[in-house]
Amino acid sequence: MAANPEDVFTGSYYIDGDVASAYGALAAGCKFLGGYPITPSTEAAEAFAKRAPEVGALFVQMEDELGSIAAVLGASWSGKKALTITSGPGFSLMMENIGFGAAMEIPFVIINVQRGGPSTGIPTRTGQADLMQARWGSHGDYEIIALAPDSPQECFDFTVKAFNLAERYRVPVMLMADECVGHMTEKVVVPPASEIEIENRKTYSGSLQRYLPYKRDKSLVPLFAKPGDGHGLYITGLTHDERGHPIGDRDLRSSTARFLVDKIRQNASQIIELEEDRLEGADVVVVSFGITSRVALKAVESARRQGIKVGTLRLKTIWPFPEDKIAELSTRVRGFVVPEINYGQIAFEVDRCSHGNANVILVPHAGSSVHLPVDILGAIKQVAKDTKPYASVVSYKTHLERQIFG
Amino acid sequence: MQDMATMDRLVGIFSDGFGKSKFPRSKISLVSDVLLSPESVRKLGVDFFHTGRGYAIPFGAGLKLGNLDLKVVVVVGDLLTLSGNHFLHSARGNMDLVIVCLNHFLYKKVGGEDPKVRYSQVSPFSGDEEPFNIPHLAKSLGAVYVARWTLMHAGQLANSLSEAMRAKGFSVIEVIAPGVNYFLGQRGERDVSGLLEYYYKNSQVRNDGDTQNAGIGPDQKIIVGRFVHKERETFIDSYNRQLEQVMKKKFRAYQ
Repeated sequence: MAANPEDVFTGSYYIDGDVASAYGALAAGCKFLGGYPITPSTEAAEAFAKRAPEVGALFVQMEDELGSIAAVLGASWSGKKALTITSGPGFSLMMENIGFGAAMEIPFVIINVQRGGPSTGIPTRTGQADLMQARWGSHGDYEIIALAPDSPQECFDFTVKAFNLAERYRVPVMLMADECVGHMTEKVVVPPASEIEIENRKTYSGSLQRYLPYKRDKSLVPLFAKPGDGHGLYITGLTHDERGHPIGDRDLRSSTARFLVDKIRQNASQIIELEEDRLEGADVVVVSFGITSRVALKAVESARRQGIKVGTLRLKTIWPFPEDKIAELSTRVRGFVVPEINYGQIAFEVDRCSHGNANVILVPHAGSSVHLPVDILGAIKQVAKDTKPYASVVSYKTHLERQIFG
Repeated sequence: MQDMATMDRLVGIFSDGFGKSKFPRSKISLVSDVLLSPESVRKLGVDFFHTGRGYAIPFGAGLKLGNLDLKVVVVVGDLLTLSGNHFLHSARGNMDLVIVCLNHFLYKKVGGEDPKVRYSQVSPFSGDEEPFNIPHLAKSLGAVYVARWTLMHAGQLANSLSEAMRAKGFSVIEVIAPGVNYFLGQRGERDVSGLLEYYYKNSQVRNDGDTQNAGIGPDQKIIVGRFVHKERETFIDSYNRQLEQVMKKKFRAYQ
């Protein structure tokens, strides 16, 4: 269905990615933001707080990030589309309740504008090092969805998409922006409401007494019912059966825990979005995401001018990971170059999915700024030249690394 | 006296309190970081959310703000340790919640304890620590309703619950109660009934009393009663009023 025109601030703007993501949330129908503003995501919370009262939405400044995410889960159970906005330290505090949300299968969106880490890190500068935390941060088995915008326009588009995916799969969805994209100001077009596709969670409409909160059909996504409507909900973060009741110690057959991973894994091909360029006949593929994909373009152009057959694969979706695509590419390319603003997260995923068929070079970065294109170019040339298989992921010696370590 | 588990007693009191409040059961959501059995919840006829420990208050605040028609009753079972900061700020903001705070005098372990026995399994030699004066804390934070009873004051508790549910805003009822049965059983020191009787006999009713003197300590009477019952604009009413004043026709009230 189309978005509600009252929620959409249609127009052409010159705004940063943070602000664009707030507009995206409102356009998606988000009515509740529980947050504790933190650099470099603050502008997103501010923009939401400023425009929310015009569309009947609410920004609540909570006492901390623990309270923020808990309130978001509560508001979503009451039927509101709910959001929190944060960065590294706040994201860390939210981990326990992300698992709770995944276990309860409640839709919500987290915008994480990544900064340098670990700990307080570099608050005002960029980082791309929270990706594994997004995937594995809470204890136990569950799946989430994570998207990585590379522009303010995508901050708008992907936030709408994040809400749609959260509602469709009843799962936490994370917009893993980075500080550069969050603070980059560019043209952003907010289209008319009629051009914005909105999905809402599927709700139960049968008899009150027969409702089972975790019963599912082939889609593996249970039907939703709000409190207050007489269903007698029993909801717990304890491992539960389809009634929502905690399972007995050994009664694993009735557990619904398996579906937390299956509903995402089985639908991965419908969730994953990639941007591909000249993969056909490529010897080297640059795998990148977020701001780094834009930095990599210059290196790719230079390499092509030097006669190297380079393709690019941009991960719009980080999680679930495009395992099949990487595996297929690995059988016909010499190697992958993975620049990322961390010391190796996605590079190891690419290596895992290559099954030893192709070499993988990581172009690391300590954070606070972006790569030098010449480093990515150097890695492309190295992987294009090397004929012997690498024993494991090779870390490229960037200019910065050479300056520090010689 | 029958040896009933703390939660069973509490469920009976909830049932009476909910009935007296006249709220339709379908509109009541019980949020708790203490597990209630499915059977208990079915008897109560409400919606039930069992959160992670310490998160029942902000989860309940979100649930209430997500649907203003709900009456949200929050049970916290940890004596405001994990819940502490959420309690403070929900009270300060006057979130429309009823908080039922179970106090079983133990900071160092989840379980049940007797204030006279000053040790537990994780404080095997001595575990005496100063507890919060919860009524005084709640009153100072602006709570609209504050009461404390022991679990034996079943009628008073049900009345307080009903009054707290009808009061708009942050309401607090402290329940002096033993922890779960099995822990005491393991310790083999005292049965629940004995503890309940001990609490009851050592309590003193002082309705509208000064909460400053309601601290709990060894060799002191447990002061119980209704301490606060007043009106104060709730968080969302305040929000809607203020923004309407400033934004006028541009404002769409939050519903």
